[in-house]
Amino acid sequence: MIGALLLLAVAATLAAGTLLAAWLDRRLAGGGGIASLAADWLAGPVRTEAPDDMNRRLAPAWYLALAAAGLCVVPFAPGHAAIDSPAGIAIWGACEALTVVVVFLHGWSPNAPFPLIGAYRYAAIGLPAMLPSMFVLIAAALPAESLSLVAIVDSQRGAWNVLRQPLGLPLFAVAILSLTLRGPMDYADGADIAGGTSAEEAGPARALWQAARLAMLVSACAMAATLFLGGPLGPVLPGPVWLWLKTAGMMAAILALGARIARPPPARMLGLVWTVLLPLSFLHLLISGVIAL
Amino acid sequence: MSHLARLAATAPAPVFAAIGPGLAPAVERLLARPGLRRAATPREAALLLVAGAIPDRAAGALDRVHDQVPHPRRTVRWDGTGDIERALLDARADLLGGGESAPDRRPDAPPAPWRGKGDHGQGGEGMMGGTPYGRPMAMTGADIRDGLQLDRYTARVGPFAPMLPPGLVLEVTLQGDVIVAVEVQAPAFDQPAEADAPDLVAARMLRLLGLPGAADRVAAGGRPRAAGLLRAVPPGLVPVGGRDARDRLAGCLAGRSQEIEPPDLAALLPGLEWAEAMLALASLPPSSLAQEALAA
Repeated sequence: MIGALLLLAVAATLAAGTLLAAWLDRRLAGGGGIASLAADWLAGPVRTEAPDDMNRRLAPAWYLALAAAGLCVVPFAPGHAAIDSPAGIAIWGACEALTVVVVFLHGWSPNAPFPLIGAYRYAAIGLPAMLPSMFVLIAAALPAESLSLVAIVDSQRGAWNVLRQPLGLPLFAVAILSLTLRGPMDYADGADIAGGTSAEEAGPARALWQAARLAMLVSACAMAATLFLGGPLGPVLPGPVWLWLKTAGMMAAILALGARIARPPPARMLGLVWTVLLPLSFLHLLISGVIAL
Repeated sequence: MSHLARLAATAPAPVFAAIGPGLAPAVERLLARPGLRRAATPREAALLLVAGAIPDRAAGALDRVHDQVPHPRRTVRWDGTGDIERALLDARADLLGGGESAPDRRPDAPPAPWRGKGDHGQGGEGMMGGTPYGRPMAMTGADIRDGLQLDRYTARVGPFAPMLPPGLVLEVTLQGDVIVAVEVQAPAFDQPAEADAPDLVAARMLRLLGLPGAADRVAAGGRPRAAGLLRAVPPGLVPVGGRDARDRLAGCLAGRSQEIEPPDLAALLPGLEWAEAMLALASLPPSSLAQEALAA
């Protein structure tokens, strides 16, 4: 019974969250919003020459599936997640890593130069951008002495991780921007390559891909709220409501951040990721470990 | 009109602009308005805005861009006078209300017959190279940075590519996204002096830096309200007269117009990555890439 309720909560959160994300995107980041999703949906499909049709159709579905799988391990109330895995953060880590594959397939499948450049660029930057995020996940597991997200939430009853691990949330924000193809980390869809992986896409396929991007924003922000803001913990209001509020707040912050930071050319960002972000994540692991001791 | 169409009608109209001589600055300012959305690719658009008289040399390209816009689509022509925003919004409303979509202008067929050679009628050597269907296929060649044998791919970009000044046609040979060779096949169309205005140059660069909102704000006379603008531009990128792309962006954001000697693109761009090259081109006033400038 409670399992069915939790699955329902995952589905409802993903659907309602995606609509909220579209609305926030238009308000805060100059995105298309819900109306643009509808407009894209109504446009006719396009076909490139000799595309990889299977991956073309599957890419948005995989992206959405990864967002849903990631949200399944998030506890909606203290002690309750749809999938209460003892290795919850490893499941989320896998979703992050597989996102790189999905975005690559999205750019690969149209068989056209600009989408393919976007795909390779994203793989080159998305992969090292995930590394700091993995250290952030490990650090969050330290005080809980468990990879379970339920345990990680429980470990924050005294103090939220955002206070105990000050570098964690900023580093994870970089991963969220990368996972959701936004702002300074959107190397898949640059204007210099005419929209990159989406350059040869119209109609329902474009609408679905954009919706999946927003759904991933919901999942990644719910994960950030769980790892750093105590997830469903909070006074008076029930657990799920706290999680929704914190997730919505994170979504607004990520959207606003993404629209206000310049994106350097890929080679420059690659240097930044390997020489600044990665050492910072080592430092973060060290600080978190010392504090946890 | 269905519920979905009514909802879609409240979205900004997605417009892809094919810009001819004389109207670039007017179109750039037009597309920064809130009721319209600048489509990153024809595939994202519903309306094709044909601004100005497109020269004959670009007519074929215009037809190809037209056919890339998904149905239902409409072409709106503009000579620079009248209320074009109204015309675009009306065309959009008509399309969403079930108005007729413009048919293809070109046959849905390869631009040239199959000309593979190889043992099995494939490309050139082995599985690679050659120009089947008139398109050059990738072939290995020495990397210009470290001499590794990597695939070289040649493609023509322009004259309506959204990341280049209108009219400019480049034949580029790429290894990955590193430019190995560039040939300028046609110069940018002539534009009025306003195209060189510092706010428009800055807006073009901001768009390439992933900040379309900031670009629209700057084109409308506001502040960019974004962080890391100058630091995002690599130092030493395409210096002209002792000033690199970062200096040029700083100057444009400060409202200083620039005088620049026409650059030799075929010498400046090779070795750069595509993103850097486009950023460098956007940092130059378009007049330096126009007919007389490049012929000089």
